[in-house]
Amino acid sequence: MKNKHVDELIPDYLDGSLKGEDLRKMEQHLAECPLCQKELEEMKLLFSAFREDQIEVPSERLKAQFEKVLETEISNHGQVIQLQPQRKGNNWSNTFLKVAASIALLVASFQMGSVFQQQKANKDIALLQEETLQMKQTAMLSLMENQSASKRIQGVSYIEEFESPDEAIIKALGNRLLYDENDNVRMSAFDALAKFTSSESVKNILIEALEKEKNPSIQVAIIQALVQIQEKKAVKPMQKLLDQEDTQPFIKEQIKAVLPSIT
Amino acid sequence: MRKSIFIIAALLVGTLAKAQTDYTKSLSGIEWVKIESKTDITVKTHSSNELLIKSGPEVKTPERAKGLKLVGEGGPDNTNIGFSVVQDGNTLIVHNLRKSKGAEIYLPKSQNLSVKSTWNGDIDIDGFSGEIEADAQLNGSVKITNVNGPVTANSLNGTLEVVFGTVKQDSPITLYSTNGVVDVSLPGNTPANLSLSTLNGNLYTDFDIKVTEKDGMKSYLGRKVNAAINGGGVKISMKSVNSNMYLRKK
Repeated sequence: MKNKHVDELIPDYLDGSLKGEDLRKMEQHLAECPLCQKELEEMKLLFSAFREDQIEVPSERLKAQFEKVLETEISNHGQVIQLQPQRKGNNWSNTFLKVAASIALLVASFQMGSVFQQQKANKDIALLQEETLQMKQTAMLSLMENQSASKRIQGVSYIEEFESPDEAIIKALGNRLLYDENDNVRMSAFDALAKFTSSESVKNILIEALEKEKNPSIQVAIIQALVQIQEKKAVKPMQKLLDQEDTQPFIKEQIKAVLPSIT
Repeated sequence: MRKSIFIIAALLVGTLAKAQTDYTKSLSGIEWVKIESKTDITVKTHSSNELLIKSGPEVKTPERAKGLKLVGEGGPDNTNIGFSVVQDGNTLIVHNLRKSKGAEIYLPKSQNLSVKSTWNGDIDIDGFSGEIEADAQLNGSVKITNVNGPVTANSLNGTLEVVFGTVKQDSPITLYSTNGVVDVSLPGNTPANLSLSTLNGNLYTDFDIKVTEKDGMKSYLGRKVNAAINGGGVKISMKSVNSNMYLRKK
């Protein structure tokens, strides 16, 4: 045991953690080994130095810096946390987009539907307009046969609804102009026909009417219309009117004035 | 006794005399009454649904015509007052066969009426709400007053004068004259589309007429004015070839 140094047990001895046998052997050895006593002295010094030495406390600055760093770290971490709600927002907008898209789809399909409906309605309206035009024509033709002169005139004035009246209408108007007993109906029929003097059948009706007509107002109106379109066939009935005794003087004047312009 | 016989005789004479000057006929089933006359005709309204002709002072039948009947172009006198009254379907045709002396004819207010003067007779129609047609074919004038319904009137040489009450129907009104003046009075608030034309005369009116001529198109009948008054409505057409036209606010 003499030769055996106890240097490795010194820290435990100093700590007081050596007990019983170990402690007795240690004290025995220390008493007879000067080397180990020296070692113990050194160790004691070291230990006291440890004990005396103050625990290093981090400075305020360090603390502040650390907290700053921590803060940034936290804030960085916070950003990550913030990302989550952002992503949630994205989800919401996604949902919103989806809802919007479905609404748009709904609206679009509704619009499409209504467009188709509209087209159909337009077709229907066109059909209806055609029908009303036909109905108007029927109404016009039947009104022109009415007992009341005012109703016949109303029928005649329906001509305004027709841009290009067919032969049936022209013929009905012609019959009014040629055969109606009421002067005002004949006058109105003339007014209606005068808008279509480019039609050959209208020209013929006017010439026939000029030969038959006794009312000077209508005579002068027909003469003016026929002169306006330079209708050569009007010359003969006009000369006939000049020769007739019962022709009003002002009609004769009128004929004399316009005859040179078409002969 | 003598007195009572005298009274009875007087009454008898009275009824006989009345029978000679008045003629009545029921108008049930009649839509139109057409009157034709060479002399003046005045048509007025009364409340019963019958035709009443007052021929005025008795016209003496010539001595030689005793036992004979008056015959005119409208047929024989079947009324004993110088008129021929014939029903044709829903139309009652009344001919004044006499060539002198006018007559007064009474008809219900809503009667549709057509009056024709074929010679010098003036036509005077007052107070009807039905349709009125008047035609003075030669020298007669036409005067139509206090009417609401559609009027179709024409004159050759006479004046054509119409005074309207409220005009609210939609059948057109046409008033044409060749040589006569056309003189029309309308309530100021009548909504109407006017068509006014005169060849050698002038148009005078106190209506606010805004010309709505189509694309500057000229009418064949010389000066023609198309205008809407009070927003437009019933068609009113007036023409005079050789005379002035007057359109008045009533």
